Amino acid sequence: MVDTRSQILQGTLDLMVLKTLEQMGPLHGYGIARRIEQVGEGALVVNQGTIYLCLTRLVQKKWVSTEWGKSDNNRKAKFYAVTKAGQKQLAAEAENWERIAGVIARVLQPVEGS
Amino acid sequence: MVAWFNVMVSRLRGFFRPSTLDREFNEELEAHLAMAEEEKVRQGMSRDEARRAARIELGGITQLREAGREARGLPWVDPFLLDAKLGLRMLRKHWGLSLVAGLAMTVVISIGVVMFAFFELAFQGILPLDEGERVVAVEAWDVKGRREIDTSIQDFQRWRIEIEALDDVGAFETVQRNLIIGEGAFDSSSGGRVELVSVAEITASGFRLARVLPILGRTVIDDDEHVSSPPILVIGEEVWTSKFDRDPNVVGQTVRLGATTHTVVGVMPEGFAFPVNHGFWTAFQRESWDHLSAESNSTVFARLAPGSTLKSAQAEVAALGLVPSAFTAQAIEEGRLVRARVAPYTLALMGDFDGGQMAWVARIIFLLGAFLLAPPCANIAILVYARTITRQQEFATRYALGAGRRRIVSQLFVELLVLAGVAASVSLLVAAFALKRVSASVNAIAGDAAPFWFDFSLSLRTVLFAAGLAVVAALIAGLGPALKATGRQIESGVQSLGARTSAKLGMTWAILVVAQVAISLAFLPLAVELGWGTIRQGVLGPGFAAEQYLTAGLDLDRRSLGMTAAEADEQYALRFGALQTELIRRLESKPEVRGATISGMPGAEPWVRIELDPEVGEEDLRSRDGGRVNHVDAGFFDVFDIPVLAGRGLGQPDFEPVRRVAVVNKILAQRLVGGRSPLGRRIRYSGQRADPKAPTLAEDWYEIVGVVADRPSNLDHGTVYLPAAPHERFAATLSVRFAPNVADAAAVLRDTVVAVDPEMRVAEVELLSEVYRGQQVGNNIGAAVISAVTLSVLLLSAAGLYALMSFTVNQRRREIGIRAALGAQPSRLLGAVFKRAAVQFGCGAVAGVAMASILDYVVPAERIGGWSVPGIIPAAAALMLLIGTLTVVGPARRGLKVQPIEELRDA
Repeated sequence: MVDTRSQILQGTLDLMVLKTLEQMGPLHGYGIARRIEQVGEGALVVNQGTIYLCLTRLVQKKWVSTEWGKSDNNRKAKFYAVTKAGQKQLAAEAENWERIAGVIARVLQPVEGS
Repeated sequence: MVAWFNVMVSRLRGFFRPSTLDREFNEELEAHLAMAEEEKVRQGMSRDEARRAARIELGGITQLREAGREARGLPWVDPFLLDAKLGLRMLRKHWGLSLVAGLAMTVVISIGVVMFAFFELAFQGILPLDEGERVVAVEAWDVKGRREIDTSIQDFQRWRIEIEALDDVGAFETVQRNLIIGEGAFDSSSGGRVELVSVAEITASGFRLARVLPILGRTVIDDDEHVSSPPILVIGEEVWTSKFDRDPNVVGQTVRLGATTHTVVGVMPEGFAFPVNHGFWTAFQRESWDHLSAESNSTVFARLAPGSTLKSAQAEVAALGLVPSAFTAQAIEEGRLVRARVAPYTLALMGDFDGGQMAWVARIIFLLGAFLLAPPCANIAILVYARTITRQQEFATRYALGAGRRRIVSQLFVELLVLAGVAASVSLLVAAFALKRVSASVNAIAGDAAPFWFDFSLSLRTVLFAAGLAVVAALIAGLGPALKATGRQIESGVQSLGARTSAKLGMTWAILVVAQVAISLAFLPLAVELGWGTIRQGVLGPGFAAEQYLTAGLDLDRRSLGMTAAEADEQYALRFGALQTELIRRLESKPEVRGATISGMPGAEPWVRIELDPEVGEEDLRSRDGGRVNHVDAGFFDVFDIPVLAGRGLGQPDFEPVRRVAVVNKILAQRLVGGRSPLGRRIRYSGQRADPKAPTLAEDWYEIVGVVADRPSNLDHGTVYLPAAPHERFAATLSVRFAPNVADAAAVLRDTVVAVDPEMRVAEVELLSEVYRGQQVGNNIGAAVISAVTLSVLLLSAAGLYALMSFTVNQRRREIGIRAALGAQPSRLLGAVFKRAAVQFGCGAVAGVAMASILDYVVPAERIGGWSVPGIIPAAAALMLLIGTLTVVGPARRGLKVQPIEELRDA
């Protein structure tokens, strides 16, 4: 059986995590992983562990802040929220991504008349 | 950039509290697994299945923890610390190598670091004043000649008025004056005190620029600069304490500087010594002058105006240009480019450099240090390589277990870095000690206090410099052996794990050992001769009762005679000459004085090239020699008890008028004419660098009329004594021989000088024995450096040989064992083993003796300040032989202890 799911492109996980936090507000690591999987509708392979390494990076850069709280089922969990610097970075990276995606789409478009 | 900085801060924080972050990370993962498990259970999985699925989705927890730890901390620090720990252990284990290599590195790094520390001290100082870094000097600058030329008064005035980028433009000049406190103080018997002091003649703006207020009275003010204003004096806190016992009524008192009476108007606080190292300030009165300088050189200073920079000030000053003056005209006539320049104050005061040049000087010192490090570190590399070879098994094992080549190379490099780090730390201690010594004896060396911005503590840049040299040393000594030892050999090492080392010391090693022995031997004799020449005078003493002689520089204040420019030169010389004659007469009339003479500075006469006029048939044998020349008066030989050996000494008829006759000492006579008589022959002298083929002028020649004994203190120097009339002696040194045990001879001397004329000044009054001792301080440091370098080279050679012997014995243990089991005599076995080393050693020794002989011929030790030691080359060869033999002893004993049974069992 052929696995049609795609690996996450290198360097895009940060962008996805930031976007998720911006849309959803503060979330714990598990929530972020589940949300990305849901949005991907099963088309993306998410190694959930790497979400935590990504979050560590974002926290170090101060693009994401953390706070301990309680999850829905009353468990102690660390919640992540995007900071102002993170929002700025997200805007810049999203714009960059759109530009690159546009270029790739144009490159892949069949030449008219062929 | 901000993100990078945040990451570094966060990682640093993570490095120092790893357990807290680990715990939080674990808690987070646990929470993740629990939430995932519960969700899966809700979806219908059994608890076991749900737990397993959650773990699979999260990924390997151990790897995740490891990756998290790496992301949070400083991942490269732990291996580095581990390597450093291993390095320390290896240094302790191979302590002999560590000691030898460490000493060699310490010697060289110390030389570099001390040089850099003094460079920092002299050129990188910042004025300890409010915004001291904004204080600048403005100069008329000869671009090609790289020197300051005299500033005209017009330029000074224009800079003061027209340059907007500069505030508080002013000038100062340091002058020497006889300070006389008390009335009628020409004689110590009247209770007055006479002392030569440095006085800063300074504009009022100097005090505004410094932004320091007086603790009593006032500073110099603008009105004081008018020629008609009464002379005033501002004193420093230290002067107030030492000379006026902190008298609160000091303001208003009068003192005399030379013949002029000054009123004390203020006292500056402790530590204030602007512009350089001053404790006395008078007003700078130059209204009627055409240029700034009165005696030597004046300096124009300023503060950068708010908002302006060195660059903008420079641009403005350059745009204004210089007013044509006698000085610029002369410079331009000589084809030199003259412009005005603005330079950082401390830099301009310390030498003729640009800011940019300073950075280059720092780099050159570093490169020089690195260059000096190369030979000893290459030697150390050889030793390290020999040791590394014996560790092949260790590296092969680590390699087989998965450690990359990079990891092993970095381990070896860090080992050497630890050693170099220790060496650099010791060198910093040496530098700190040297700076401390200099700060303590700066008066003795410079004859004056150090500039007030000198900071005698080690700067951060010096520490970084030492660290840089340590890295270079570790790179040279560690990287080569590490790369070689982890190259192809490591693969073969893996294949033969468990067997004895198969590494070999090849041809390169043999060449290195031969070269090492040869080079050590070649330079050893010269080093010994140089060292002996340097400390000889200190060890043997001057050879006469130098402690009975008091010497002092003699000078006359030209300005106070009412003479300003060159027009009065002759008048000035005659006056000074007459005063000298009168001074000698008065001194010699005193009962405690045995004699007085005026000459060039004994022991510091200029070094010249002396040439003998060839006689017929001698044209091809022009006899030349280096030596000293001293202009003396008629009493010189008597005062110093120098006997005349042939011909005559210098008598009064030689001086009036001065005749072109010369007296030479015995050693010079010997060098110039050998065993023949030099009397009646002619000599001339020129600066050491003068062209020897320059045309001969008749008036250059002096006829030798006498030969005198060598003064023991300058036995090694040929000296020519020429008569000089009093008015010809500008740089005059007064030497007075006192009867033994005269109390306060210096006061007698000073008082007599001031009694002859208060404008005549004596500087640096010192016993001749102290002068010699002072000269010896530098010599002793030089000798210590030569000894340290020589010793470290010898030790390195010995260690190299020792390593070779040890390695050879180790490699052939089995062969020795087998042959011993077959009945061979152990001593014969060892003979065979050491044959190779002996051949290498022998080749090195022969080459070394040859090189030493050539070196001795090309660079005789006497030419460069050494002292010839008879038989030094054979003695050095014998010493090297002894060292070679000693290095054999240890390995030989180990070889003799080889147990045939054990070696055969291992076979």
